[in-house]
Amino acid sequence: MTHRVFLLTVIGLLLLNFSCPLLAQESTGSGVTWNGYLQTDNRLQLKSDNDFSLQEYRLDLKTEANPTEKAHFYSEVWLRSLGFPTVQNSADLVDKNKISPLSLDFREAYVDLYGFLFNNLDIRIGRQRIAWGTADKLNPTDNLNPDDLEDIWDFGRHLGSNALKASYYLGNCAFEVVYIPMFTPAVLPQGDWASVLSSSMELPAGLTLRNLTDTIIMPKNNFEENSIIGGKISNNFFGYDFSLSYVYGRDDLPLTRKVTFTPTSTPGEVDITSELIYPRMHIAGIDMAGDIAGVGVWAEAAVFFPEEVKMVTDLSALGMGIQESIALDDKPYVKYVLGADYTFKNGIYINGQYLHGFVHERGKDNLEDYFMFGLEKKFFNDKLKIIPIVGGIEIKDFKDIENNYAFILSPEIAYFPVDNAELTLGIRLIDGKDTTIFGRLKDKDELYFKVKYSF
Amino acid sequence: MKKNIPFFMIVGLLLLANIKVLAQEKIFNANEILSKVDDVVNAPKDQTIKLKLILIDKEGKEEVRELIMFQKGSEKRVVKFISPASQKGIAFLSLPDDIMYLYLPAFKKTRRIASHIKNTKFAGTDFTYEDMEAKKYSEKYIPELLKKDESHYILQLKPKDGVKTDYSKLIVWVRADNFYPTRIEFYDKSNNLYKVMTREKIEKVGGYWISKESEMEDLKAKHKTKMIVVDIKFDSNLSDEIFTERYLSR
Repeated sequence: MTHRVFLLTVIGLLLLNFSCPLLAQESTGSGVTWNGYLQTDNRLQLKSDNDFSLQEYRLDLKTEANPTEKAHFYSEVWLRSLGFPTVQNSADLVDKNKISPLSLDFREAYVDLYGFLFNNLDIRIGRQRIAWGTADKLNPTDNLNPDDLEDIWDFGRHLGSNALKASYYLGNCAFEVVYIPMFTPAVLPQGDWASVLSSSMELPAGLTLRNLTDTIIMPKNNFEENSIIGGKISNNFFGYDFSLSYVYGRDDLPLTRKVTFTPTSTPGEVDITSELIYPRMHIAGIDMAGDIAGVGVWAEAAVFFPEEVKMVTDLSALGMGIQESIALDDKPYVKYVLGADYTFKNGIYINGQYLHGFVHERGKDNLEDYFMFGLEKKFFNDKLKIIPIVGGIEIKDFKDIENNYAFILSPEIAYFPVDNAELTLGIRLIDGKDTTIFGRLKDKDELYFKVKYSF
Repeated sequence: MKKNIPFFMIVGLLLLANIKVLAQEKIFNANEILSKVDDVVNAPKDQTIKLKLILIDKEGKEEVRELIMFQKGSEKRVVKFISPASQKGIAFLSLPDDIMYLYLPAFKKTRRIASHIKNTKFAGTDFTYEDMEAKKYSEKYIPELLKKDESHYILQLKPKDGVKTDYSKLIVWVRADNFYPTRIEFYDKSNNLYKVMTREKIEKVGGYWISKESEMEDLKAKHKTKMIVVDIKFDSNLSDEIFTERYLSR
């Protein structure tokens, strides 16, 4: 109940916030605006008895104000009905959060001060999305904001971070410095994707698992442990945009560093407790974008320098001692993307990317290869967009492709009946071998239907 | 004799008038005309124009877009969408040497526009990114004077070597009195007439000629985009900072 009261309070404040600027806008002509969109997203699994796999109704609200030429305010929140009723007994029927789950997602809220102290210096303070990298949605250099993997198909989605960003401009050259005081972990996907993205653990022979519990060890709440800093220099050379970046941060996906086995009263059965941490790492990045013979091209690479994380497996309660291994070695590893796109004279647009290292992969020997591709064409003066081919191919082992591949195909049709309205119908087909990430989801083909209306 | 005095006076006056007309009727060659077109179109030091775009399909259904355009000289231009909501905040920057950037607020990113995009539709209108760039025609095209009538020069413009464009040629009607282009025909690579732009309500505002209403028609798609000037300011000393990636994302 408290949660719902909080939501209603926030909605009330937002409406109040909106109505006042609107009145102000009418009377003074000041630049306060609000807008947003309503989006519905329903997904139906084609196998598994046609279960609904996702149901989201999202109201996006954005407020923007330019009180002076030198200042700018922006905020964005999502009010969402996400998921399904979770009632399990009659007592739950008085809990609206279990009947109709609602959530508030505070995406961004920041103020910009332009020409701060120096004419060429802009600063942005507050919760913000800092999107680095030139590749299409899958950006190895985009490491400041935590990943938001809640919807794994919404590639590139990140949470906002409470941060200070300073940008200094000198001709074509731009310098960016970012300070994020508090580390925030990534949001992990629910259901099948959670198990697919996490590493599996093999039990010693003869043991069965009763309970698995884990503890996340968050960094200490101080400057040294928690803070993330980053810097980027961008410039243009010979018609190409380049940037170099650096981040001292943390891997935002948890890594197991200790596992303790405890026997239960049943012979051969164990409880497992594990400790997970977010390893510190330095990340150096480089990206470019430009045009070669009319074809749009981009490349982006990040070198990760992680701290070494030892893995302790405590089997002492089973009389097998304590074993140590390396969960993450400190050898640098590189994730990269190479991509290109082109629009043919007949309006067909194609886009392709080769990706080495998916978002959750880490360690030199654990990076896989992916090819992402898309083809689309618009018809009837952009009223209809058909994307017959879009998807990806995952190759886990080039030496044995036959047993180490997976693919996703996701053809889609989008119709724009009137301004600001978009209806999308698509299907996601997955197949492949169980050795691969996507292959493990081969039974999760789904049909989806989205409606978006911007206002 | 006395009777002849008025006759000679009339003849003399007619001769003088004729000499004056001849003096006024300087014959311009194609290059001079095109150069004057550039001078007239880009005469203001800078321009801030609020525009309403009306997209009209073959059934007459209309959609409206609003945008604000800043231009400095003949080479720098910024266009920002004000509406509809789904396109609000999208911004386009055109710089010399065919450099163009697009800011997409949904992705919080500014992307350089590769040349294959330049000939695609600009936000669903009948203008392409190439049409929307700030430019001097004389720097990109070789003109040829096809015809001169009482009110117009008619020029054929063919792209200079090395100029990347999807147009094989343009036919431009230029008003003879003020060198303002009133009609432009765009021909595709197969030399077929593809689009026609007409400029109407040509008025002098603040000492500069401007068309307050123009229309681009895609003949193949039977689709039109009407561009109406809602508000205009000239020579307000726009800062160079506006024409940067820094400003684009604001």
